[in-house]
Amino acid sequence: MSAETLSKLLKKGDRIAVSNITGREASQVTAVSQKYCGNIVGGWALGKGGQVVDTPKGPVQVFANFEELLRLVPSKKHPNKILIYSPPEAVYGEVKEILKYGTGTVETLFIVTEHVAVEVTAKLHRLCRQAGIDVAGCNTLGMINTHDHVRIGAVGGDTPDESFKPGSVTIISNSGNMVNTIAGYLASVGLRVSFGISTGKDRLILTPLKRLLELAEHDEHTRIIVLYIEPGGTYEAEAVAWMKDHAFSKPVIVYVGGELAEKADITLGHAGAVIEGKASSASGKKQLFDDYFGSAPFNQAMTAQQYQQKPEALAKGLRVTILHHIPAAADLIYQVLGYTRDTTRFQPLTLNPWFVNLHNLGKALPAELALAAGTIPEPHLSQYKLLVKGFSDSMIRQPMRNASHASSNDGAVPRVYGISLADLMEKRSFVASLVLYWTGRLPNDIFEEHLVEMTLIASLTNGPGTISAQGSKLSASAGNRPHTAMIGTLASIGEVHGGNGSKAAAYLLDIFSDSGLKDPYDPEFTTYPLAKKAAAAFRRKKEAAKAIGLEYERIPCLGHPVFTGEEINYDPRERVISEFIRKSNRRQVFLDFYLQLAAALKANGAAPRVMAVNVDAALACIWLGICWKSLIDKEITTQRVIDLPFAAFALGRAAGGAGEFFDHQDFGTAMDMRIPVNECRSLTRPAKLSP
Amino acid sequence: MTRKITEPTFNQFFAPRYKIPVPRLLTGDSGLSEIKRSLEAWGGEGLVKPDVLAGKRGKAGSIRAVGSAQAAVKELNRTAGMEVNGIIPRGAYLVEKIPAKWEVFTAITYSTAHLGPVLTLSLEGGIDIEQVSRNKQVSIPIDIFEGLDAYQASEALLNLGYPQKLISSFSRVLIAFWDMFISTGMETAEINPWRITPDGKPYACDFKGSFDESNYKCRIPGITYPEYPSNTTDFEDEMQEWDAASHQGQAHVSDLGGSKILPLLFGGGASTIITEILHASGGDPVFLSDFGGNPPYERMYGTAKRCFDYHLGHAELLLILGGKANNTFVDVTFQAIADALSDYCREHGPLTIPVVIGRGGPKLVKGFLVMRQTLEQLHLPYVIFGPDTPVTMAAEYAARLVNALPKKQEEQEHVS
Repeated sequence: MSAETLSKLLKKGDRIAVSNITGREASQVTAVSQKYCGNIVGGWALGKGGQVVDTPKGPVQVFANFEELLRLVPSKKHPNKILIYSPPEAVYGEVKEILKYGTGTVETLFIVTEHVAVEVTAKLHRLCRQAGIDVAGCNTLGMINTHDHVRIGAVGGDTPDESFKPGSVTIISNSGNMVNTIAGYLASVGLRVSFGISTGKDRLILTPLKRLLELAEHDEHTRIIVLYIEPGGTYEAEAVAWMKDHAFSKPVIVYVGGELAEKADITLGHAGAVIEGKASSASGKKQLFDDYFGSAPFNQAMTAQQYQQKPEALAKGLRVTILHHIPAAADLIYQVLGYTRDTTRFQPLTLNPWFVNLHNLGKALPAELALAAGTIPEPHLSQYKLLVKGFSDSMIRQPMRNASHASSNDGAVPRVYGISLADLMEKRSFVASLVLYWTGRLPNDIFEEHLVEMTLIASLTNGPGTISAQGSKLSASAGNRPHTAMIGTLASIGEVHGGNGSKAAAYLLDIFSDSGLKDPYDPEFTTYPLAKKAAAAFRRKKEAAKAIGLEYERIPCLGHPVFTGEEINYDPRERVISEFIRKSNRRQVFLDFYLQLAAALKANGAAPRVMAVNVDAALACIWLGICWKSLIDKEITTQRVIDLPFAAFALGRAAGGAGEFFDHQDFGTAMDMRIPVNECRSLTRPAKLSP
Repeated sequence: MTRKITEPTFNQFFAPRYKIPVPRLLTGDSGLSEIKRSLEAWGGEGLVKPDVLAGKRGKAGSIRAVGSAQAAVKELNRTAGMEVNGIIPRGAYLVEKIPAKWEVFTAITYSTAHLGPVLTLSLEGGIDIEQVSRNKQVSIPIDIFEGLDAYQASEALLNLGYPQKLISSFSRVLIAFWDMFISTGMETAEINPWRITPDGKPYACDFKGSFDESNYKCRIPGITYPEYPSNTTDFEDEMQEWDAASHQGQAHVSDLGGSKILPLLFGGGASTIITEILHASGGDPVFLSDFGGNPPYERMYGTAKRCFDYHLGHAELLLILGGKANNTFVDVTFQAIADALSDYCREHGPLTIPVVIGRGGPKLVKGFLVMRQTLEQLHLPYVIFGPDTPVTMAAEYAARLVNALPKKQEEQEHVS
């Protein structure tokens, strides 16, 4: 079943299964491939059967092993290509299982795994050859077929369309990275790619160059072939001998790297770059191709006219000595041999810095080295604008089991964000230390510190009847210890009791994300237009919902069940905070916005009266102010900002819960929170179980 | 770290287990009386050899025949301290001299032409077997599952002109040679030469072999692999250890002895090309590096930290360069490098060297922004290229930049 053309190695309609699909790389590659071409029919991973890998095109099913995949996937979808991401020790077993159950269906294996033993690789070659199955790898990155818009493996990274558009050049490379890089270069002369193939660079390359050239010879889309070659192996010697014997019809452009390593007697990163005799060395391979081409390496100074005199030499191809000469050499071949370029859109390769700041060094440099920032091309420019404009939704992740930004202990000194606990104890308040721990920065001044303190005091209690106080009292009544009672309090707060502050924070983030606000205490910043706009938006939404009889979403933290009924309503706790701000000759932009919003809603008729800005809103405003600078600097996520008001409420209320516990423990009677049976109502009629 | 062994380890651990006849051997630290007794038992003559991982030209010129214990001790001391092709020996040893009528040279290795193991036989040698002309050697592909076919080996020996009456005994030791090779996870093994005594008994009279670190079979209980003196630097040694500590992302470096550009390079292909351009353009790179393979944060941080700790203090330009990654997340790797750079400056004080960056791949813009923010905070001059600028052009630019930097004050004073 061995392939006869490149497209037989990978084509539209191929069905791919991925081994160890839940692994870090495999799952990422699966998601991108599904979005790009949707050719993955499933995967398997030891102990992960029944799970799924989420992708933009829907979940990909994970099976326990290959046999189970074949059993449970409809036969029409049985995979004919396998992408192997298993650990090196497992590769042999995986392939044996594939051969046992998949012979007759499976056509090609792409083994991405690195560090597979040479002995195992030799065994895989022998087994798969016997079964008529092609193998790419080990340590391949996969391949891409642009005309069919399909890929297997990671060629093209997370944006395969960026570098790989249908064209006439097949790239075959010992380095996966170079497939992608060279594709990008070719675009500079209006050339695009038919196939991009990473051969892998282990000691044994199981689909050698000769075989790939045989397949490329018969490919209708491929006009020329670009090769990136490294030292090691006799693959090129065999390929060149074959090209000579068979009068290979397509021009080849080749770059051979690694001669420096050879001269300096140092090792290269790829495992296969082991010199075994002259023919496998970089210099030997250069000579090999030069002999085949019968001409000196590409010379950028020579013009197409000069080359025009011997087009037959170019028909075999050219060797380039500098990587970025590949497009110029390809362009030359297209010109001299009269081939049509794949597109007329191109831009010459040049130094184009995206970001530059040379500080004073720029003045001391010659003009040609003191570069100025160039143009960021799309789609990167849009991504850049998006990233610099908004807030950060996610940080760069890493395993955090034994790591923390927030705290450290070198064996003697516990620290919070680098500041010793002893220093904090001596010089700062609990509230300041808390702000440091929660946000990574100390409060700016005593004003901010007091604002935060007020949020904690305001959260302590709203009387014994609140459900959070009840949680603590219930626990005390059952004879628990104080920490359990505090948990009782914490267990009795939630989205509708205390959690509104988070909703208010999210609402404010939405309103202020485009506002250009830098300083949340800025005396000049005008909030009224924002409030008016937000009130108008709410009125439109409310009216539209009412017109069709739907419930509408309220603005969080406006109104309070106790503080209502007046023409203008206030939550007294918010008033204390506002009064403190006023007396401090400061302002708080977010709280001003909220108060103006309540007034604007009354003014535009969306609300019958001025609703109270409740204490949860005040908490959200204060904590958002504390975090605003860190948020702009992308040092914390929006999620943290949303969570902080609720965390502050929870901290205050848990302390309040302890207060209720102590009181109840001292003065309450055992199980006094119990509701007597005769006060409980049954809403179900008595019934009997049948015998 | 590739495991390699030579004749002493082979004679002591491997040959007895696989019943491969070898000459008797004494290590260099043997006492005078023991040497004397051994020489008497060996017929009065021995050979002193350096224990060295000799390069292509072998160690032939450094082997001395000795006829007395005193001469042996003297030669052992001299040979142990003498470089062989620029390589310091691990020590020297004394080995029995085997009288021979015939010599056969053999190697088993994995052939890229056959994509499997191959036994190469020759009746000529003395240097690497691959240097022997093709018509005087024969290569026999070995079925990886079925092993060496003794009949095939016999035919080959006959064709080379090996006496027919000796073939049977020699084929048996070739089978043992193969058994050892395949059972211990070797990647290459050379017995160079086998000396065949006048009565037809073959002895393996020198050996060099390397093991495939990815093959679990080479982790043999009870065997201590020798450590050979190498020309590697402390930095290379530490990086080798760090590289071997995980398969998640490469941390490969090879010291080039340069002093200008500290290059953190990504991708096996790109790193080779960039280093060649830096070298050709006068960039004088400190080392060749390959840090691709999608390293997670902590791996990349550890790699960058080691590079900075060893070399950033005296480098004149920091280059962070790679092609357009397929797999490697630029934001993760750049965050790790940026953090390592910040931590270095916190620990060692501010830097002033320029930083040149070029990269493409997943999460590129986020990675650039992370790096830019750090470089701004550290007040370091920088130029950042995207994937539309070829890595080779960016490397050329870095080389030209480092050579155009204003001389440091003290250097200027020294020159004046």
